[in-house]
Amino acid sequence: MSIFDRNSETMPRATLEQLQLERLQALLARLKRNVRRYRERIADLRLESLADLAKFPFTTPEDVADSFPYGLFSFPLREIIRLHSIMGPKGSTLVVGHTRNDLVHWGRLAARQFAASGMTPNDVVQVALSGGLYRGALGYALGAEQIEASVIEEEPHCIEAQLNLLENYRPTVLVTTPTNALALMNAMAHHRKDPQSFHLRTVFLSRPVAGELWNEIRAGLQVNVSCNFGIDEILDPGFSVQCEAGRFHVNEDQFLVEVEDGELIVTTLAREAMPLLRYRTRLACETPREKCSCGRTGTVIMPKGRLDNRFRVGETPLYEEQIAQVLRSHLKEEHPYNHTVAGDKLVVSIQMTPAIFSDMIWQLEDFRRRMVTDFLDRLGVVAEVRFVY
Amino acid sequence: MILQVKNLRCGYGSLEVVHGVSLHVRQGEIVGLLGGNGAGKTSLLKAVVGLLSPWHGEVMLNGRPTKGQPAWRSVSNSVVLVPESRKVFADMTVRENLILGGYHNPDRKMDLDVVLELFPRLGERLGQLAGTLSGGEQQMLALGRALMARPRLLLLDEPSMGLAPLMVKEVFSEIKKLRDLGATVLLVEQNAAATLRIADRAYVLETGEITLEGPAGDLLHNPEVKRAYLGKGHKEVEE
Repeated sequence: MSIFDRNSETMPRATLEQLQLERLQALLARLKRNVRRYRERIADLRLESLADLAKFPFTTPEDVADSFPYGLFSFPLREIIRLHSIMGPKGSTLVVGHTRNDLVHWGRLAARQFAASGMTPNDVVQVALSGGLYRGALGYALGAEQIEASVIEEEPHCIEAQLNLLENYRPTVLVTTPTNALALMNAMAHHRKDPQSFHLRTVFLSRPVAGELWNEIRAGLQVNVSCNFGIDEILDPGFSVQCEAGRFHVNEDQFLVEVEDGELIVTTLAREAMPLLRYRTRLACETPREKCSCGRTGTVIMPKGRLDNRFRVGETPLYEEQIAQVLRSHLKEEHPYNHTVAGDKLVVSIQMTPAIFSDMIWQLEDFRRRMVTDFLDRLGVVAEVRFVY
Repeated sequence: MILQVKNLRCGYGSLEVVHGVSLHVRQGEIVGLLGGNGAGKTSLLKAVVGLLSPWHGEVMLNGRPTKGQPAWRSVSNSVVLVPESRKVFADMTVRENLILGGYHNPDRKMDLDVVLELFPRLGERLGQLAGTLSGGEQQMLALGRALMARPRLLLLDEPSMGLAPLMVKEVFSEIKKLRDLGATVLLVEQNAAATLRIADRAYVLETGEITLEGPAGDLLHNPEVKRAYLGKGHKEVEE
């Protein structure tokens, strides 16, 4: 396993802190000049040490949503060469933009992850992330290009087509979601294909998995498994590097991290298009201060789940409010309900009340079917709606 | 780190012109400091070498704070400033200028040969009065005079100022050569395109504050640098 950018990834702490201070001061000067929202909030504040950052206000996901679409951009739109949407609080849409330099940096940072997972220019990399709401595919492709590997950015339309692609194109690295990896594993078993008959050497998962699931994928596909830990609003992939010891190291030359009441707070130090100051990620984490045998000096971060009511159905992120919104459009008044996730399916149990009761089964069935369709159309999830007493 | 500056504030009278600047220079790097007129570039350099007392903050040379040290001390700390407009001793010969540059250097006679090898044109004019040299030659003399002190860090204040474009190219190519020989350079300039082409990293100073920093290659593509310092379509012009 190699280190892609040794100077940055193994920088001595004192040098790193000097660099962070310089970048932070430059960032504040740019924010005051270019972003009205920040200018109003930080105009009189001065930063003389990294500890002074605590005096500065947070940026919340709600602030980003309030600035939709371009309110937090630090450059005029003509300088932004790539835009994409991500999910914000309560299912709102946020826009992330990139300048030319942002895309170059994104590729370099993703390449750090790939190099740590052992990727070389001899590898053939397939990026298959099921499109949809996950926007990291571009970052992975840019990263693999930085390594000078061959990139296949292709989404087979079904799992059999994916198996064919593995046979014919012979990728050695597959970048995919844990859900896809499991589906692939099951498909191999179903078609009695020996995982070793493919050329896959590494599966790179789009989000952290550990323990049983990690072992299951590793054993099922007979590959090395590496994981990404990124943050949509900040950078995903490219926020951190998982080293061979399995630890996530923050790319601290680019991102300054704090932990406040268990929540991960991130300041982007070098992003041009949409820099964020003290962004509350709504992610719980721990940052054990320990040296890592891999030689990287970036803070080790242990993600611990979300602090808001966002959850996942398969790989699709959802907020509880989005479920309520769908239900509200079908039910005239508030009905008690609860929801669970069963595999890739959202199970919504609605309490049967006189307001929705009908002795005509077809009417209830039709009502249920319309809601299921709406969950798929509006939220992109397969749902099962149950009426309970 | 050869030079480390933290939160430096300085100015003249009651006027603060550098408002809390931090930067660093590592061994063997050419670091550019870009900025327009009045941005505070020269004041920053003066504070680094002790010609201007910092009001606040820290300047560390080779890991040691320089606070309160007189300017002449910086030469014995192996830091040499090549000032704006060259400031060669016009009434002295090229040789005398060079020998004077090596005043602290016991091996100055030996180093003279090295400098003349680096700038052969100076060798052809050793006996000529410095004031009679062309602008470009005077700049090379100023560089050579600085090298005679065997600096670990060379501070260059606008070496392109007042030079014809062809001469600028030549001077910058000499500076690049110095880096290849192991010198460490902090290059203060308004000529962003020329600086970013030879520098490893750079800072942009505007009204006394650093607003951008990063690898020189990245800054060349930064929209703000392009707009403010390189001019729209600069690539086309160069080609």
